[in-house]
Amino acid sequence: MADTNEGVSSYEIKDALLSVRNICKAFGSNSVLKGVSLDLMPGEAIALVGGNGAGKSTLMKIIMGIYTQDCGDIYIEGRKIEHNSTREALSNSTYMVPQEPMLFPNMTVRENVEIGFAEKPSELDHRLEQVMTEIGWHFDLERKASTLSIAEQGMVEILRGIMRRSKVLILDEPTSALAFDEVKSLFKVIESLKAKGIGIIYITHRLTEVFDIADRVSVMCDGIIAMQGKVSEFTRDDLIRGLLPPDTKKREAKSAPRPVSEIDYNAQPVLELQDFTGYGFSHVNLKIYPGEMVGLAGVVGAGRTEMATTIFGRDKVLGGKVLLDGKDITGESTRQVIEEGINYVSEDRFANGIFRIRDVAENTTAAILNGKRLGSFFLNRAEEDKISQSYVDNFHTKVTGLDQEVGSLSGGNQQKIIIARAFASEPRLVILDEPTRGIDAAARGDVYAVLQELRKTGVSILLISSDMEEVVELADRAVTMFQGRINHEFKKGEITQDNLMAASFGVYHEKAGVKVAS
Amino acid sequence: MKALKKLLHARELSSVLFLIALFLVVGLINPSFLNSSNVSACFNTSVVYTLVAVGMAFTLFIGEIDVSVGANLGIVATVVGSMLRDGAPVPTAILVGILIGAAIGLINGWGVAIMHAPSLIYTLGVCGILRGLMYLYTNGAWVENLPKDFKDFSAVTAVGDLTVYYCAAVVLTIVIWILTTKTRHGRYFIAVGDNANGAQLVGIPATRVKVIAYVICGVLSAVAGIIFTSRIGFVTADSGDGYEMKAIAACVLGGISLVGGVGSVIGAAVGAVIMASISYLLVFMGFSSNYDNAITGIILIVIVVVDALIQHRSVVKNYHARLLARVSPDQAVAGATEKGVE
Repeated sequence: MADTNEGVSSYEIKDALLSVRNICKAFGSNSVLKGVSLDLMPGEAIALVGGNGAGKSTLMKIIMGIYTQDCGDIYIEGRKIEHNSTREALSNSTYMVPQEPMLFPNMTVRENVEIGFAEKPSELDHRLEQVMTEIGWHFDLERKASTLSIAEQGMVEILRGIMRRSKVLILDEPTSALAFDEVKSLFKVIESLKAKGIGIIYITHRLTEVFDIADRVSVMCDGIIAMQGKVSEFTRDDLIRGLLPPDTKKREAKSAPRPVSEIDYNAQPVLELQDFTGYGFSHVNLKIYPGEMVGLAGVVGAGRTEMATTIFGRDKVLGGKVLLDGKDITGESTRQVIEEGINYVSEDRFANGIFRIRDVAENTTAAILNGKRLGSFFLNRAEEDKISQSYVDNFHTKVTGLDQEVGSLSGGNQQKIIIARAFASEPRLVILDEPTRGIDAAARGDVYAVLQELRKTGVSILLISSDMEEVVELADRAVTMFQGRINHEFKKGEITQDNLMAASFGVYHEKAGVKVAS
Repeated sequence: MKALKKLLHARELSSVLFLIALFLVVGLINPSFLNSSNVSACFNTSVVYTLVAVGMAFTLFIGEIDVSVGANLGIVATVVGSMLRDGAPVPTAILVGILIGAAIGLINGWGVAIMHAPSLIYTLGVCGILRGLMYLYTNGAWVENLPKDFKDFSAVTAVGDLTVYYCAAVVLTIVIWILTTKTRHGRYFIAVGDNANGAQLVGIPATRVKVIAYVICGVLSAVAGIIFTSRIGFVTADSGDGYEMKAIAACVLGGISLVGGVGSVIGAAVGAVIMASISYLLVFMGFSSNYDNAITGIILIVIVVVDALIQHRSVVKNYHARLLARVSPDQAVAGATEKGVE
């Protein structure tokens, strides 16, 4: 096991590209960083893993000068930085590619990449061409940023970082919106940057990536670095152990055994899609049976979210039918669909999910305001609290009270509240879109346990996930979507990561059987 | 070719075409309108609106708004007017006026950019204070008896029938346009309005840029106030009233987005000419100029609603086009789909 001593580092400040020493930061009474030290050497990639609220983002924002530390020092190439600001950090060749792309939507790709440089436009254009050829990404530079997909936006952000000739490049979950081949090309880019002596801090929740790309790994937990050392000295289990708070083992055990056989495939399907076609997907046929959890795997952009939101009445149906318990509900409005008994939990909890500044109770019951359960005119706050409290208890949501603002909760706990909201409407079917994206391993275990619990109540779940492991663990049956069409279906025994991956990329061949190289 | 294409796509072009169409329509209804002196009068009248609108454009670029421009104009006009009436030298009065405008801009910038107050409400409050101060300063009386030279200068022409004031305003607008579109720092205003957090991450000092935008707006409103005094020749207690709506309408008509990050000062200047011409054109069409404000309001609402619709449509259209492009046209790809469950 590697160096688990959080305060001491074996590296010399003068050799390192970036050193932070004993950084502390508190927001009010909430101490987020409790003395963090980290060194980044030229040409290496450090993977920074840690749960939500572990302090990774705060540390990065301090390095980028967005926040000021309460104590501790930052050194760039051995030089102490006295008054850090974003401009100072940038002029010291530090660049952060944020998790959520921060492009200028009304500017072109070119303008987005080239803004804020001192060089002449012609030189910049030339250099940009060079960089793009070098890394093999091709963009129409005159496209407006608002027309780019999220993955493309992320790539433009990375281009920006490279263009800035950064010596320290911070990548905050760069692969969370990228497709498989884009991840591969990103890793190639990272390797070539490392060869040029650039130091990379790579924040990720995907533990496999740690072993693919990083030289060293630092595991943050609760404001300190709980473990760090060479990647070669760690196993996946070591990392998970470092990430998990001590009390999670019990829950793991709870979520392990699963009943599979009790689904009645002769019953009338809860949901049936017949040649269902809309923007982004085409001729989808799918049946979901009572109490069944169907995994819908695929790469980003395969059309899964679009299909879900179209069922949910958010976009136009171009053809086909949606049947709920045999009743045709094609093209109904979102409100009607919810009343019929379908609820949808969005992949983007920030844009479409939570009401950040409303409290836990209001968020939990937001979808049932139209129903009679909360009173017909004045809201029955006691009933609202009762419903909310039962979900908080069942889901082990960590809140200070039902009146806590949801925006102040960690990502995992926010997600639990959104899931609670969907189930509070007592639906027949819930569509969960990437329910564990961006939340840490411990919270993920909690969400899985919650879903297993809910399934026992007989509700059907359509689980959209790009995390193949998740589909393998949870789904009774899985289908994959490729280029807008469902191309394969796997029964329980056939659901393996390999199969799902191969089918998601459209390279699964039935003849070759279960074992197929992707 | 590329330049032509760019020009045709420019949002400003439609407002120029609208202006030309407007003049032609009025000319058709009343042929006596279409002569150099009438058309020039439209431009000359617009000088005050132009300056206020260009100033307003800066606050709209950064995604905020300043509704204190009219009160700013009014108080500067009052102070400058009374100083000149009492015999102060013109340069001193102008300097004081500009300093007042800059101070108002600074106060607005402080509240909006540093204290994060909502700009519409904050500047509305500042507007109220300025109006109050104006009444206290004048007791509601008019400022009259200004020096004749100062008043007469407003009639001095530079090019054809166009006044020195208007020509100077055009030159200033063009200079500002070049600075805001062709220079590195000038683009920061648009960038901040487009995505303030993103701007910070590429090292743009967003807070400072916002404060500067308000100061520029304040100074241009002050200059407008000085020219207003010279052109009108006296200052009433409600001077500058309603200029904020005209300026916002001019900007929106000129293609500037109210959500920030889109548009140019050229558009604002063209929009200002249209706004200034309305009351003049009404007379030629045989209507009372009392309809002026109502028409300005209608134009503002129509444009904002239409713009929102178009924007929404194009966003949805792009989104759908992108999605359709992703779907495999090949039915065979999904060949193995229809198997059922059991």
